Amino acid sequence: MTISKKVCLLGDFAVGKTSLVRRFVYDRFDDRYISTIGVKVSRKSLVVPRPGGPIDLVLMLWDLAGSEEFSTMRASYLRGAAGAILVCDVTRPETVEALIAYREQIEAASAGTAVVIAANKIDRLPPGARCARADAIAEALGAPLVYTSARDSVGVEALFRELGARVSG
Amino acid sequence: MSGTSATPDAMPDSETTQEGPCAPDELRALDELRMILLARDRASVVELKSALDALQGRLDDDEWLARAVAPILSEALRLKIRDARDEMIEALYPIIGQTVVRAVAEAVRDLARSVDAQMRATIGPRQLWRRLRARVRGVDSGALALRDALPFSVSQVFLIHQETGLLLRHVALGAADADSDLIGAMLTAIRDFTSDAFGRGSQEDLDEIQVGDRRILIEAAQTVYLAAVVEGVEPVGFRATLREAVIAIAQANAPALRAYDGGSAALDAAEPLMRTLLASVSGVDAPAPRLSRGQQWAAGTLLVAALVCCAATYGAGRLIWVATRPTPAMALTPTATASATPTAIPTAAPTTAPTATLAPTDTPPPAPQTSAPTSAPTSAPTSAPTAGPVTGAMTGNAFVHEGPSLTAPRTGLIVRLGQPVEIRAVSGDWAQVRWIVIGEGEQTGWVQLAWVATLHMVPDAIITPGAEP
Repeated sequence: MTISKKVCLLGDFAVGKTSLVRRFVYDRFDDRYISTIGVKVSRKSLVVPRPGGPIDLVLMLWDLAGSEEFSTMRASYLRGAAGAILVCDVTRPETVEALIAYREQIEAASAGTAVVIAANKIDRLPPGARCARADAIAEALGAPLVYTSARDSVGVEALFRELGARVSG
Repeated sequence: MSGTSATPDAMPDSETTQEGPCAPDELRALDELRMILLARDRASVVELKSALDALQGRLDDDEWLARAVAPILSEALRLKIRDARDEMIEALYPIIGQTVVRAVAEAVRDLARSVDAQMRATIGPRQLWRRLRARVRGVDSGALALRDALPFSVSQVFLIHQETGLLLRHVALGAADADSDLIGAMLTAIRDFTSDAFGRGSQEDLDEIQVGDRRILIEAAQTVYLAAVVEGVEPVGFRATLREAVIAIAQANAPALRAYDGGSAALDAAEPLMRTLLASVSGVDAPAPRLSRGQQWAAGTLLVAALVCCAATYGAGRLIWVATRPTPAMALTPTATASATPTAIPTAAPTTAPTATLAPTDTPPPAPQTSAPTSAPTSAPTSAPTAGPVTGAMTGNAFVHEGPSLTAPRTGLIVRLGQPVEIRAVSGDWAQVRWIVIGEGEQTGWVQLAWVATLHMVPDAIITPGAEP
């Protein structure tokens, strides 16, 4: 059995959304779409265990531009999303704070959407270090937090699996 | 100064001037002076020579020269076209005009070939019916052929969930694209983008995208939309067909669409309808616009005229058939006048039995079959009443013989397939038949019985007893 779900990636400019997508999902379209129309769609296939047996889950990943000029388009792109990955850069506190606003946008466009937070670029932190503010916001939003590094391929697969489990449940 | 300096510079040191020979010290002094005075000029000459050599080298390099001249040439051409357009057109026409003419001629030839192929292909009843319909709708055959020569085809149809952009179903003429789900999602994204960027209201959505020769036609219902990738000029009504299809799919699957969770099995039932959209569509087969009042009147008149023609043709055919059918002419007065008296003289007929059938009539008796008469007159008269004529029809073309045998001479006549005949007598495998030929009158002769079909049994009365094959 195959199930497809729409998933959106949200986060400020240069937090690493596209890097997360580029390395671990199937791409067909050029990244230039993000800067032209504000979005690019990619696909990530997973096998997700479920009580009735594993299912093939196809995540249609809508990588949304983080820049301001596409903020008006964002509501349209978020419509119908079953899940969302909110991405922040642990070295830039303002991107961590922006997670709250993105969560609100998601809720406004598509209520009840499953959300997972990706604290990206942990390769720039000392080993074992955590971002206290990201932890706090994740707890406040009730969303799981996964530390990732697109550069070192850390936590990315776990991030998509966490979201896959949530949207397929 | 240069004149005075050039003269001594050109003279050999050993020569003397007109003023007289110079002392060696003077010459040396002059040399030094010359060096001092001409040093700058000499350096300039060397520099100029070097620059000239470099320039000469570049001029010999065609590629460099073209690059150097191109910007100037472009600008010069632009100015020239602006200032002397007619002159430029006149100058370029032999080149550009010929190219354009060749391209147009090739396109027209392709079109002509296509129309020819269409005309050759359109000879079946279906095509004739199409032509008739087209004519009734005011489309002449030339326009129809031209329209057929410009085919329209649908190569792919996407059924996409409006809200999520997820691909519900995809059908294609050839092999389906493995990334059709990504294409569907990006199509939705582009649609959302154009709607947000250019839509002036909530109902304004992207409904067509042109990609070279192909176009993507989009028709949306409340929950889903159809995107058809088409090539060529769509016939009138195709959009309506597309719209009806998407509405039908949305209505038929409303519960499944409301509860859509991304499952791949959803909307399986939509696929057959989508496949019907894939087939090539012809302009005349598509729904036509309503006829005008004049066209309706003309069509009605044409229909009535056609009915009248049919009735007249049927009546005329019936009259001709009645006039030419052999049955009335074969009324050989099969009277019931039984002849109880024996035949006084031997009949010339091969058998004596049928004598009663034609006697006593005003019609002349059949020509004597002298070649194969029975050897003896009938000893026993036919006592039974005269039977009615036995009629039949020829099941093939048969030579007519003068007697009931292959050895009997041929009369030179042939009874044709389907010819109604009257069987006058039977002898073994042979039947004496009588038939009417239009314009030639009544004919009689013997043919093999196998070529004559009858609906009734041949009565014994006309069978020659003892005649065995």
